[in-house]
Amino acid sequence: MKTYKYIFLLIGLSIFGCSDLEEEPVGLLSPDGFFNTPKDIQTAANAAYGHMTHEDFWGRKMSLTIMLRGDMVDIGDPTTSTRRIEHNDFNVPADNGMISGYWLRVYQIIAAANQAIAGAESVDAADDVKNPVTAQAYFARAFAYFHLVRQFGDIPYLTEPITDLSASSSIGKTSAAEVYNNIIADLEFAKTWLPNTQEARSIPAKSAAHSYLALVYLTIGDYQKAYDEAKGVIDNEGTYNLGLEPDYQDLFDATKIDGSMEPIFALDFIGASDGDDGRDYQAALTGIRADEQYGIGGGWSVAVPSLEVYNTWDGRDYRKAVSLDTTGVFNGNVEPYTIFRDFHSRAVNRPHIAKYTRITGGAATNNGRGSNHNYSMMRYAEVLLIAAEALNEINPGAAEAYDYINRVRARARNSNGVTSGLYPQDVATGLTQEAFRDLVLEDRKWELAFEFKRWYDIARRKMGSEVFSASGLEGFKENFDPNQDYLFPLPADELARNPNLEPQNPGY
Amino acid sequence: MKQLKGTLFLVLSFCFVLSVTAQNKTISGKVTSQSDGMALPGVNVVVKGTTVGAATDFDGNYTINVSNNEAALVFSYVGYVTQEIVVGSKSEINVALVEDAASLDEVVVVGYGTRKKSDVTGAVSSVKSEELNAFPLLNAEQALQGRAAGVVVQSNNGGEPGAPINIKIRGNTSINASSAPLIVVDGFVGAVMPQPNDIQSIEVLKDASATAIYGSRGSNGVVLVTTKKGKSGRLSVELNSNYSIQNTANELDLLNADEFAAYQTAINPGYIQGPANTDWQDLLYRTGSTQNHQFSFSGGSDKMNFYASANYFKQEGVIINSEFERVSFLSNIDAQVTDKLKLGLNLFGSRGNKDGVPTQSTGETANGGGDDVVSLMFRFAPDLGILDENGLNTINGVGDDVDNPYAVATEGVNEIKTDNYRANLYANYDILENLTFKTTFGFSTANGTEGIFRPSTLITTAGGSTGGRATIANFKRTNLLSENYLTYTKEIGKGNLTLLAGYSYQKRSTDRFSAGAEGFTSDSFSYFNLGSGSTQLIPTSSFTESEIQSQFGRLNFDYDDKYLITATVRRDGASNFAKNEKYAIFPSGAIAWKISNEDFLKDSEKISNLKLRVSYGVTGNQSIDAYESLASFGSVFTPINGGTVINVTPNQVANPDLKWESSYQTNIGVDLGLFKNKISLSLDYYNIDTKDLIIQDSSQPEYLGFLNPASLRNVGEVNNKGFEISLNTRNITNEDFSWTTDFNWSTNKNEFVTLLDGQDIFQDASPGYFNIPRTHVLREGEAVGVFWGYEYRGVYQGGDFPAGTAILDGAEAGDQLFTDIDGSGDITTDDQKIIGDPNPDWTMGITNNFTYKNFDLNIFFQGSHGGDVMNLTNVQLFNGDSNATRDVLNSWTPSNTNTNIPRAKLRGKQITSRFVEDGSYIRLKNIALGYNLPEDITKKLGMASVRLAISAQNLLTITDYSGLDPEVSYGVVGQGSEASNTTNGFDFGNYPTVQSVNFSVNVKF
Repeated sequence: MKTYKYIFLLIGLSIFGCSDLEEEPVGLLSPDGFFNTPKDIQTAANAAYGHMTHEDFWGRKMSLTIMLRGDMVDIGDPTTSTRRIEHNDFNVPADNGMISGYWLRVYQIIAAANQAIAGAESVDAADDVKNPVTAQAYFARAFAYFHLVRQFGDIPYLTEPITDLSASSSIGKTSAAEVYNNIIADLEFAKTWLPNTQEARSIPAKSAAHSYLALVYLTIGDYQKAYDEAKGVIDNEGTYNLGLEPDYQDLFDATKIDGSMEPIFALDFIGASDGDDGRDYQAALTGIRADEQYGIGGGWSVAVPSLEVYNTWDGRDYRKAVSLDTTGVFNGNVEPYTIFRDFHSRAVNRPHIAKYTRITGGAATNNGRGSNHNYSMMRYAEVLLIAAEALNEINPGAAEAYDYINRVRARARNSNGVTSGLYPQDVATGLTQEAFRDLVLEDRKWELAFEFKRWYDIARRKMGSEVFSASGLEGFKENFDPNQDYLFPLPADELARNPNLEPQNPGY
Repeated sequence: MKQLKGTLFLVLSFCFVLSVTAQNKTISGKVTSQSDGMALPGVNVVVKGTTVGAATDFDGNYTINVSNNEAALVFSYVGYVTQEIVVGSKSEINVALVEDAASLDEVVVVGYGTRKKSDVTGAVSSVKSEELNAFPLLNAEQALQGRAAGVVVQSNNGGEPGAPINIKIRGNTSINASSAPLIVVDGFVGAVMPQPNDIQSIEVLKDASATAIYGSRGSNGVVLVTTKKGKSGRLSVELNSNYSIQNTANELDLLNADEFAAYQTAINPGYIQGPANTDWQDLLYRTGSTQNHQFSFSGGSDKMNFYASANYFKQEGVIINSEFERVSFLSNIDAQVTDKLKLGLNLFGSRGNKDGVPTQSTGETANGGGDDVVSLMFRFAPDLGILDENGLNTINGVGDDVDNPYAVATEGVNEIKTDNYRANLYANYDILENLTFKTTFGFSTANGTEGIFRPSTLITTAGGSTGGRATIANFKRTNLLSENYLTYTKEIGKGNLTLLAGYSYQKRSTDRFSAGAEGFTSDSFSYFNLGSGSTQLIPTSSFTESEIQSQFGRLNFDYDDKYLITATVRRDGASNFAKNEKYAIFPSGAIAWKISNEDFLKDSEKISNLKLRVSYGVTGNQSIDAYESLASFGSVFTPINGGTVINVTPNQVANPDLKWESSYQTNIGVDLGLFKNKISLSLDYYNIDTKDLIIQDSSQPEYLGFLNPASLRNVGEVNNKGFEISLNTRNITNEDFSWTTDFNWSTNKNEFVTLLDGQDIFQDASPGYFNIPRTHVLREGEAVGVFWGYEYRGVYQGGDFPAGTAILDGAEAGDQLFTDIDGSGDITTDDQKIIGDPNPDWTMGITNNFTYKNFDLNIFFQGSHGGDVMNLTNVQLFNGDSNATRDVLNSWTPSNTNTNIPRAKLRGKQITSRFVEDGSYIRLKNIALGYNLPEDITKKLGMASVRLAISAQNLLTITDYSGLDPEVSYGVVGQGSEASNTTNGFDFGNYPTVQSVNFSVNVKF
């Protein structure tokens, strides 16, 4: 009997567990069965917009890259990271740290959008219920590919979530022309289904798709369509609730921008972040070293306009005062830009960009990192300028083009909401097509100064040989090569991971 | 009491009843152990050439009758060298037996059982408690260092208090993060190591014959730990105490403020020199200390025995503000309930508290790598003080804006508290005389909290930007284990058969959560008041669970003590295996031939042992975490319309065919003992083919857009082959003096046989802010983890490039010349190549033990030859945006052209052969002098034994490496940047290795 007792004990101890070994993850979301309602599509689409506010993308890496490549903003601190200087100087190696820093992020925007678009197919709802939501994903995808195609030309192009890893890992490039066609198709879908307005400009409305179509057509030189789309936006400015912000300064006032009618699509930083998710660095990058005037601990003087920007910009232009800071405060004293370097050996004696440092909103401290800025990816003034530029190409001398440009100029004369200056004057009709073309590109340069638009203008209009010559704002850029530098190198390690992406862009 | 002793004596001794023939003279005496003077019970005393014998009692005393004065007594005892003494006229003969380091009759622990060492067919290394106590250890893993051929033991982070220790057995069989061997403590699979003083023995199972019984977890080798048990009859109380002082072994020779200002002016004319002259190394380093106190008591009766201990350890690191403290308890109870049933319980508990400073940081781009006090103290401008003129912490004057290292070390909080508990109950039941059933039921839990705080006074580490930042991360891991097996033994003629069959089930789960906040009203809260933060960070939580169920079996057959066969098989099913690959079978077989037992060698004077071993088997590596083969979503911080919104984004792709790695291992070994095993030699050759290598494959293109840009894949096959020598000699063995030498040497060569599509896999193990996408390459035909970069060819002197070289775009005279591989005339990423190999050609350890009367001396050297080190510290220090070593004073200038150091200039951080150095070294790892107080003194003190020892660690290192320490570990498992087993050999931000002097006392009552 005693023995049995122990045997029972042993059995009790030893019989334990028998399992089918299936995994049942709790708290872990998987694509299977996720998409049931339009809300689930929205949840997936949201991520695409989240990725855009990462440091990799608009927080710093990509935005700074395209800012430095332009002809207005030069390196300030000569000891800043080499990967930044490489873009400014057109010395970009195929393993440049800026590009490899944001390449993945742009594709994460696309992957999130693709997931939402594919997920929408399993949502059992009427088109007019679900498509307005899915259209946000189409817009995000077009927005991301539009950046890529302008920077890299032919690129890997995906429209579906990845299920077959090895097939997707060995695809070849899609030609830039085809990518543009797809971008247009995505934007057409978005334009069709997005509502006329949204509750905030950080959510794309029909106006955003409409305006981006205009810019895409302008970029590929289809001026008739560029004009048609831009005109479409302008004709619907009431429907879309669009208008020019009366005071140019308020566009860069983080405390006022949320209420403005001018932004069409914006990335809305909120002064909070999760590490580098949702954190911007523009104020730090463009601010004056050791400057005390905004109580944010000064900036880093990394991206500082060349002195010629200050010298050539008409001093009567209110936008110049909004865009540049010519003084800083050091040890309690206001000091001119000519002696900034006396206060920090990494500062530079040039006026600095003021658009991102002057009014960063409540949350930003510490060089202005993590601001409340809303960055306009597209604002109404640009739509007017697109219309003017495109119309001049298809119908030179049309008075309508002058009206658009003068509307933008009229607003520029406002300060504190009232017309106080006389500059910039209205443009009188009678310019040649070429003179008007130059004028509108100049007006884009000043109106959209430091808003990450200039490089793309230089590239689409192939202005490099001119603007990077000795007479350019930054002086002669000896390394600029028009046969190479309008495109960036594809990341070297991406080519190594998928050799079917060869060849590398010319010159790299 | 006496009766009890008598009974126990019978139980303990290998009692054999002897007939008595003649009784002319009675000899008595006492047998002790030479090493510690303790009495030895149960020693066999035999009159040579007769069957007359006796055994010692519990006090080591014996009496025996001999027929005449010419008779000789033979004293033999397991684990000791047999001694022979001619009686002569003596009537009292006291003997001190010398321990036999190479004893063949030792019992070694193998998976699910024990074997006589002489019957082992696999490659097994064994470390006994005496060796463990030869010098003070911070942890038990260190005991294996240099002691077992083919076993490499290294701290993950130099001399950091509480740093984890890496064990690597036989090279890189696995190439992913999980190359650590399976740790089994008292039968509990996957336990944490107990304290060294509590360990009876450690066995390292190396070949497949030994490890295949652990199936899918065996391929990295298995470390079996047996803790101490109480001995019947002897109540013993033991006290161990040691104290050490520590100093950093090395400092870098950096520029002072004036030199630095001159150097920076050459880079950035108009540089404004800062007001101070600070030696950051002086500020950060201090004299550290360790103390370790252990108290144990043990004993038992014939039915019960017990062992219990308590341990306290504290280390103050050589960098200010870094500490580690640990308390642990262990208790083992065994009870013979009936003749057939034995029950036992092992309990273990510990609390570790690590209060550290950040080192070896991943170098987040966002902070410019500013969260690593070691690299900061090298790179930070020496012309700045701790505080600026406004009383704020200084920020680096050059390069990225990083906080000064003193501020980071003193103002931040990095605390990890870990509790470990384990309980393991076993029952052993003899169903039949030769059939035993053993069942164990165990449970362990590890709970940890990591608290990090950055006050608002730290500018760049997210502290200042937001008014302080605090996070808490918590985890709770549990592990439940049930193992059940039958052992059957049978003598068949001259043969012995042992069969084992068992079933095992294990379930592991992990709960985690983390929370954080920013913007505190006060810097005094540390991370203990998250609620007062003005911005709450997104909290996270997760739960994972995985199960393994297995059947296993083993057959051992030996015939005539000459021929041995072992065969094992294990079938593992694991939930974390991918959907289509849930089950796996791992077989092995081995044969051994004890040639020395053959008639023609049996009586050889020279050859006392000769054994040939051959084994082959398959083991696995299930380094797939739960859910890792499933597709999943992640999320990102998404501000829209002034607030944040919920979202999902693709995280990883499903891989239903993901397989575990399988290692096919052949081992051929010879054990040779000469001159009564005065010399014992083991030679082992192995060949391991590991197929279906699992790697976090970053060769997946980034354009796929996953949140986790690498996914687990089976990518190829790697081969490791190697040779191990282990030589133990008893050079001199006298009553007063002995000298023994343990030497081991091993070489391992590894090579990728195939990789998926024959494609190179690039890895990055540099700090994030270096922005270097490739630092290592995995390539067919090459060793694991070779370095990738430009080949440096000296300084460009201007004019035409020397043949086959070129410079980077924008470079000029005084800059770096590199090999122009593609002959394009300039240097691009196409000119990168393999520039170094971190795998050493060989490693060795040599220990000499001397004893003279009551003194003993232990000298242990360790060496490694032929491994390259990538000096990432110098990559940082020579790129112009930081302080530098004084070597930059010899930089190229138009008037100083005969130099290998390019001109002072700001340049991108690049991996080039200029920073590849030979990491060979020989190190006096330990020297220890011990003294056992004579017995007459200890008796007066009422103690059984007293031992005093003084020792020193890392006193001497011979190396050409210019950095702090050739034993580097940046980027290895669990540390550094993208940590993995394929990214070894990088030196950056390591906590410095320390030299220490240690005093210890051991008292037994």
